[in-house]
Amino acid sequence: MKFEKIEYKPKPVRELLLDMKNLSELMIDLAYSAALFNDKELAEEVLELERRIDTLAYQLDMTIMIAARDAEDAEALAGVAKVAGATDKISDAVADIAVIVKEGIGVHPIVMKIFEKAEEHIARVKVNEKSIIVDKKIGRLNLAARMGINIIAIRRGKDWIVKPEDDEKILHGDILIARGAASGIKRFKELAEGKNRENGELENAAG
Amino acid sequence: MQQDSHRSFEIVEKFVELKNTSELMIDLAYSALLLNSKELAEEVQRLEEHMDKLHTEYEISVLLSQFKEEEVKGILGLIRLGIVTEEIADAAAEIAEVVLREIEPHPIMKLVIEEADETVTYTHVSENSPLVGKTLREAHIPEETGMRVLAIKRGEKYIRPKPDLKIDAGDILIASGYAEGEEDLRKLASPSS
Repeated sequence: MKFEKIEYKPKPVRELLLDMKNLSELMIDLAYSAALFNDKELAEEVLELERRIDTLAYQLDMTIMIAARDAEDAEALAGVAKVAGATDKISDAVADIAVIVKEGIGVHPIVMKIFEKAEEHIARVKVNEKSIIVDKKIGRLNLAARMGINIIAIRRGKDWIVKPEDDEKILHGDILIARGAASGIKRFKELAEGKNRENGELENAAG
Repeated sequence: MQQDSHRSFEIVEKFVELKNTSELMIDLAYSALLLNSKELAEEVQRLEEHMDKLHTEYEISVLLSQFKEEEVKGILGLIRLGIVTEEIADAAAEIAEVVLREIEPHPIMKLVIEEADETVTYTHVSENSPLVGKTLREAHIPEETGMRVLAIKRGEKYIRPKPDLKIDAGDILIASGYAEGEEDLRKLASPSS
């Protein structure tokens, strides 16, 4: 495994901790979904998130070290460091769920029975350059109304956008994490992968 | 393992409780931090002890399930999932520990939690509320307000929000959700007239 060299970046502690918290919560949803539907692609995204959180944890440590000027600062910031450490631990634990999937161990089908009732699936979709959703704003695609799905996160290279805003533009190469009914996810996947370009209605709606 | 045997039902039920409790603990631990609440932090610690017991019971149920040889990987998967929930619970307890050690929460922490998508609120249930006497399942709080009840404070006790739990007047609902839901929940729990 190759480890990334981590350099100090002047980013507020608040932002780093907030990113860690949001990404670790996203990971939990993704990981259980990957395990219950034996989805290896989704499991890979969970592991990618785990690496991202590791990087953030290092950057947070560096920032905290620079920020402490006296004993009082150090006492308060030790609490922040502890919380960040615990968040990192959560993400490590959750990554083990992805490993169950990746290594082909799987989860006994008795557990799936109960979660299938929830009907909500989470899937990973890669945006092909030929897709008609490229360069469209999420809000204008009207995905919730049209297909009963939501985009809960976007991975763009190494960056993650959690709960993207309506005016976020979809770019080709984006990895989209979508949540919704299985049938909607399937339709959306075809659209994003450029396999279905016949959707004139969507063209109009998306403008 | 027979899929609809009593044993497999028990395993699924215990797993769901492990998963839900571990996630509840994360929410409560962050809430404890935000509110600098030792009570909530202690509740997280208590839940952690509960998780230890539950995890053992779960593992025993899995091991007693008389699985066939070809099911062994799936059984291993169940055991690993259980371990993950326990590790999450331990991490949540560590977050709560920061509060119990009387480390004055850094202003940053408050900003983080408030700027996170979800906020945490305490809402008092008054006698004239339509919620009184209803179970959580009947109350449809998430559907009506978008808020999720994390725990119910009844006197000195914190109760985990099971669907069959009846809401009493005087209860305090600890709920999280998007900020817009706060006011809706307040109107439902404490109507002004």
